[in-house]
Parts: sequence; C-alpha cells; structure tokens
Amino acid sequence: MVAVVDAIEPALLPSRIQMAFTLASHVLLVPLGVALPSLTLLMEGIGLARKDPVALKIARRWSVVMAVQFAVGAVTGTILSFEFGILWPRMMGRFGSAFGLGFAIEGWAFFLEAIFIGIYLYGWNRLRPRTHFLVGLVLPPAGLLGAFGVLASNAWMNTPGGVTVVDGKVTDVDVVAVLFTRALGYEFWHFVIAIYLTAGFVVASVYAVAWLRGRRDHYQRLAFAVPFTVAALLTPVQLLVGDLAARAMVDDQPAKFAAMEITWQTRDHNPEVVGGLMDDSGNVHLGLSVPALDSILVGLSPDAVVRGLSTFAADARPSTVEANITHLAFDAMVGLGSVGAALSVWYLWILLRRRRLPDSRWFYRLAALAGAGAYLTVEVGWITTEVGRQPWIVYGTMRVSEAVTTAPASFVWSMLAALVVIYALIAYFFVTLLLRLSARWRRDDAREATAPEVGVPYGPRPGRFDTDA
Amino acid sequence: MPEGIAFVLLLAITAYSTAGGVDFGAGIWDLLAGNSERGREARALIDHSMAPVWEVNNVWLVLAIVVAWTGFPLLFQTVFSALYPLYALALLGLILRGAFFAFRHVADEPRAHRIADVVFGLSSLLTPFFFAASLGAIASGRLTPLSPMSVAFGLVSLAATAFSGASFLVGDARRYGAADLVAYFQRRAVAAALALIAVGSAALVVIGVEAPGLLKSMLAGKGLPFALATMVLTPLAAFLIWRGVFRWYRVLTVAAVGSMVFAWAFAQSPYLVPGQLTIDQAIAPKGTQVLLIVVAAVVVLVIGPAMGLLYYLDQRSALESPES
Repeated sequence: MVAVVDAIEPALLPSRIQMAFTLASHVLLVPLGVALPSLTLLMEGIGLARKDPVALKIARRWSVVMAVQFAVGAVTGTILSFEFGILWPRMMGRFGSAFGLGFAIEGWAFFLEAIFIGIYLYGWNRLRPRTHFLVGLVLPPAGLLGAFGVLASNAWMNTPGGVTVVDGKVTDVDVVAVLFTRALGYEFWHFVIAIYLTAGFVVASVYAVAWLRGRRDHYQRLAFAVPFTVAALLTPVQLLVGDLAARAMVDDQPAKFAAMEITWQTRDHNPEVVGGLMDDSGNVHLGLSVPALDSILVGLSPDAVVRGLSTFAADARPSTVEANITHLAFDAMVGLGSVGAALSVWYLWILLRRRRLPDSRWFYRLAALAGAGAYLTVEVGWITTEVGRQPWIVYGTMRVSEAVTTAPASFVWSMLAALVVIYALIAYFFVTLLLRLSARWRRDDAREATAPEVGVPYGPRPGRFDTDA
Repeated sequence: MPEGIAFVLLLAITAYSTAGGVDFGAGIWDLLAGNSERGREARALIDHSMAPVWEVNNVWLVLAIVVAWTGFPLLFQTVFSALYPLYALALLGLILRGAFFAFRHVADEPRAHRIADVVFGLSSLLTPFFFAASLGAIASGRLTPLSPMSVAFGLVSLAATAFSGASFLVGDARRYGAADLVAYFQRRAVAAALALIAVGSAALVVIGVEAPGLLKSMLAGKGLPFALATMVLTPLAAFLIWRGVFRWYRVLTVAAVGSMVFAWAFAQSPYLVPGQLTIDQAIAPKGTQVLLIVVAAVVVLVIGPAMGLLYYLDQRSALESPES
C-alpha cells in the first residue's frame, strides 16, 4: 500500500500550492482573530475602571472588526479542514487518530468563540456593563485553547510521538504524548506571542496613520498607546523565545535547522550566513558570512559542531530550492523581528523616561509600517517551519508525496483556480467593509450618532423588523 | 465505545442537517423570493432571522469532520479519496454563501446587491445537495460520486432543507407580527413538505433498486422506527402549519428531518460504508476514543448550555437594539 518514494504524484505540485495559498491566507486572519478580543477587553476594562466613554467607544469599534475577522476566518478555517481530506487523504487515513486530536480540542474553542462573540457583540448596551465585560472574558482563553489545539497538531507533524505503529498502521495512541510533543512548548509560546504582538502592531498602525494625518486627540492617543504598548512589551520577549526555538531545532529537527542556516558540511566554527543562496553542491553565493557565529549561537563556543544538510539522504532533506526558501524566510523573520524590537525599545524608552508618547514623525512612520511588517513576519516564520520540514509531512515518518491525493492534477488545479478567485473576492469585500466602517466612524466622530455595530454583517437587527434594513 | 463514537458522529451530522438545514433553507427561499422589489420583505425577514446564529450552526459541520478524521481515519480517507468532487462543490457553496451573506450588507448599489443575493441563494442549494449526495454515494456502498443514489439523497436534502427553512421562517414572521409573511411562508412550508414527501418516496424506490439491503433494514430493520417517525412527523408538522396551529410545529420539523438522517444511519449500521467498512474496522485506537468521548461530554455539558443561552437571547430578542 505504501507508495514508492520516488513515484511521481501528478497532484503533488498543485496540492502543495493550494495548501500553501489557503494557509498563507488564513494565517493573516489569525492574529486579530485570536488576540484582538484581549486588546478589546483591555480597552473595555480601562473604560470601565476610569469611567472613560472614549475607551468604551474604541472597544466597541474594535469588537466589530473582531467579529468581521472571525467570520472570514471561520470560512477560511473550514476550507482548511476540508483540504486535509481532499488533498491529503492518505495522511489522515494513517495518522488521523493522532494528528486529529489537536483539532478536536480546537473544535471546543471554535464553538465557544462563535457563541460568545455573538453575545458580546450584540450585548453592548443591552447587558449591564460588568456582565458584558465578564461575557467577553471567555474569549481570550477560548482563543488560546484553539491556538493550543492547532499548534499541538502542527508540533506533532514536526516532532511526532505518542503513537505505536505496526505495519504502517497506528495501533495505539497515547493522548497526552501526542498533544504535548517536544516541539509544542516553543511552538506554542513563539506563535502566541507572535499573534499578540502582531495584533498590537496592526491595530496601532491604524492610529499611527491617524497621527500622521494630524489627529492628536484623546481617542487617537488611547487607541494607539494601548495596543502599541502590548506589542512593545512582547517583541523583545519574542527575540528570546525565538532564540530558544531555533536552538531546540538543532536536536529536534536538525535538517530544518541546517536549511535555516544553509549549512552543507557538518563542521565546527560554522559561520552565520546572512542572506545568500546555496547551490546544489553546497557553495554559498552572495550573503554576509560572520565567522563561527552559528557555532557560538548553537553551542556557546566556536568549537561547537553543527550538522550539515549533506549528512541527510537526498530524499530526506529539503531540496536546494526549499533550503534557500527556508533560509531567506528565516533571515527575514529575524531581521523584521529585530527592527520591531528596536522600535519597541525606542517607544518604551520615551514612555518611561519622558512619561509621554513619542512625537517624532519618523517614529509614527515606522509604527504605521509595523502592522504590515508584523504580518509579513508571521508569514515568513510560518514558511520557515513548513518549508523547512520538507519533504516530510510527518517528520521522518511520512513524506508529503505519500500523503497526497490520487485525484487528477487537473482537478486540484481547477479547485486552486476557483479558490484564488473566491479569496480575491472575499479580500476585496473584506477590505471594502473595513474602509467603509472606518470612514463612517470618522464621520460619526464629527457628529455623534449611530451605534458602531449597526449595518455590519454581525450587527444587531433593528428592534422592529424593518423592510428598509 | 466504537458505537458511542459513531453515535457522536451521527449526532453532529444530524445537528448540522437540522440546524444548518434551517439556515440553508432560508437561503433557498431567499433565492426564490423574486427580484429585489418583490422579494424585499421576505429577504429582510430572512436576513433578520439568520444573522446571529448561522456561524454557530456551521460549527456542527466542523465537529462532524473532526470526529470523522480522528475517530474513523480509514473512513475519512476512503470517503474523501473517492468523493472529493462532491466535497469540493459543497465547500464551494459554503464559502460563497458565508462570504456573500456577510457582504451583501456592504453592497449599496442595487445591481451589486442583486448579484450578492443571487450568489447567496444559489450557494444555499450547492451545499445541502452535495453533502447529502456524498451520504447517498456512501449508502450505495459503491462510492461513485455521480449515481442515482447520490442524486436522490441530494434532492431529498434540498426538499427537507426548504421545508425546515420555511417552517422556522413562519415562526420568525410571527415573532415580528408580519401577518402577510406568516401566510407567505405557511404556503411555502406546506408546498415544501409535499415536495419532500414526493421526493422522499421516489428516493425509497431508487434505494430499493440500487441498494435493496439498505431499503430492507430501513423498512424492516433497525431503521424502521426512525423511518416511521419521519413518515408521520413530516405530514403532521405540515398539517399544523397549514391549519395555523402554531404550537410544536418547529420541534416536529426538526424531529422529522432528524429522524430521516437517523433512519439512514441506523439502517446501514454497523457499516460505515455498506459492504466495505464497519465501525470496528475503521475505529481509531483506544486513547483517541477516550479523548473523543471527553470532547463530546464537554460539548454537551459546557457548550450546550452556552449555545442554549445564545438561542434563548436570540429568541427573546434580548440582543436587539432597544433604541430603534
């Protein structure tokens, strides 16, 4: 039954592209989907504690964005769960009983979020303020639970464990060992911190633009400072957690680590290559090479030995192209993360020393770009871990080519084309809706009028049913 | 325990067929409501009644799929390897519907609004038809995507969905005191029930030809109580709606559709795919079974009440704005 390793699977290429495309789209919705509820509740809490109507107004507006995000994310997430069956049926057939466990847990979280986002959004001014706040408190842990489930499954693909396999068939599953594999610890914290700081930078970037356009009132300052402070506190922490994750990779996923650093030969005094590309014989072109730094980072000594790609069988390591993609994505992640950390330090310095927000135009220009930068960082980080695992779908156990569907390639290409068109449509409508909301809220600030949720997809219905609605 | 997990899967499928069916049915009536001018009132009501709960209904589908791949990995692989075109089309309907339901509110210009209405309505046909068609292909034991059984199941599902949708829209119209819309959806509910009885009888004939064993256990075996229930409850619910006896009709509608799903599932048990794969052959190892039972228990104990709260607040209209 097991496919021959080198068998050419016609649907392999379009299946990989489709999975990459839909995951890359979904991952953009995750930061605000999971972390925006926390920022919103923080703002609502500030509003309640200080009796500040402006903070409550901001929280209410953010909750609308949160619900729209969640709706789109629910659609793209459902597509992903179907793709496991449509594109990778053989992986699910063989390892569904282990790989699927995380998603069973994520299912709870999805239920809770869907229910409580509904109640929270509809409950503004209809529930007592304290009750409303308490209802919202379900959302952050539900989001974390969902992230845990998905990351437990992904970590299992990177460092599989907890299963007994006899003749290629899973005969025993140790639930705890499957959910808590070695990679989970660093993947979970690295990802959770990433989405929280991304949400912070993204939300703050909107109000950085407002600052650049000349808006400097209490509303703008509060809506900028709260999310940016969250992001600025987390970003330096992320450098440390990311470092731990990268060094855990040396033992847990050595081929991925070798690809991240494009190390070909196993050696000590291994240089750290920044940028650059590796050719098929392992020579590195372009790029900046810092002597022995990789060995120092890995083993705290220039004598530390780093394992190279050439020690893995050619069919058990990323190809040259994949290794280069992994390497450049990793470098981009570290580079962008370092810029974000520098911006954070700048912000915190002024906040703590001068007890005020920065007033430099350059700071706000960078802060305005930080949102897009954070999204880009999430993408390249995800590319690092997924492409770096190639050719494995389950590291060391099952190849992507052994998991792919036997459907004709033309079917998968057609489905991919349809998805690209539909995603483009959804993205267009999604952005239009957000721009429209923002324009309306700006108008409303000029003349206080409608409640922010009215007229959005999840907004409350008018009390009496009204045919003009 | 394997039977328990199969039952959890069945419950998720049934919940999606009934709760989701009400939603998709509303979409079908939206499609049939005519042009923007004529359909305005009906559409406003449909929008109104779907808004807060459709996302939650969709979660049942995700639950079913997760239980299927975790609890019965071999079933998941077999079914998806054979029936992927059906799932791709059902999925297409699902995405278009979700997107266009949300975004038709954004469309201001009449033409764009009309296009959004039509896409939303058409996609409401795709999903129930193709999901049910996949169940028909499974029930036939042959797993061919396009077969008399898959088409028969798909059509029954469309009729059942339209019936559930109309039945609940009667209730919504009453809640908002729109007498003309009550009558409008009463007529449609009765028509859909008649269509369901006709299509359902035809489907029984198809099953008799294509899968005589299945028909036998539906009408003389484990499926019988549920088959009887659906044969009694469907006309009964339609009768109550027709006569304007507005009590129990929605519960009966849900029970009628749910019994139909149960009749199919019990008739083919212990097979997941008749003649090919039994529950015991496809079941995941013990550890996974335990976790799934825990998941199901949590859904019942924690998420059930939370969902009840949402439906309650929605029905009480507590979530509506008092100012307008």
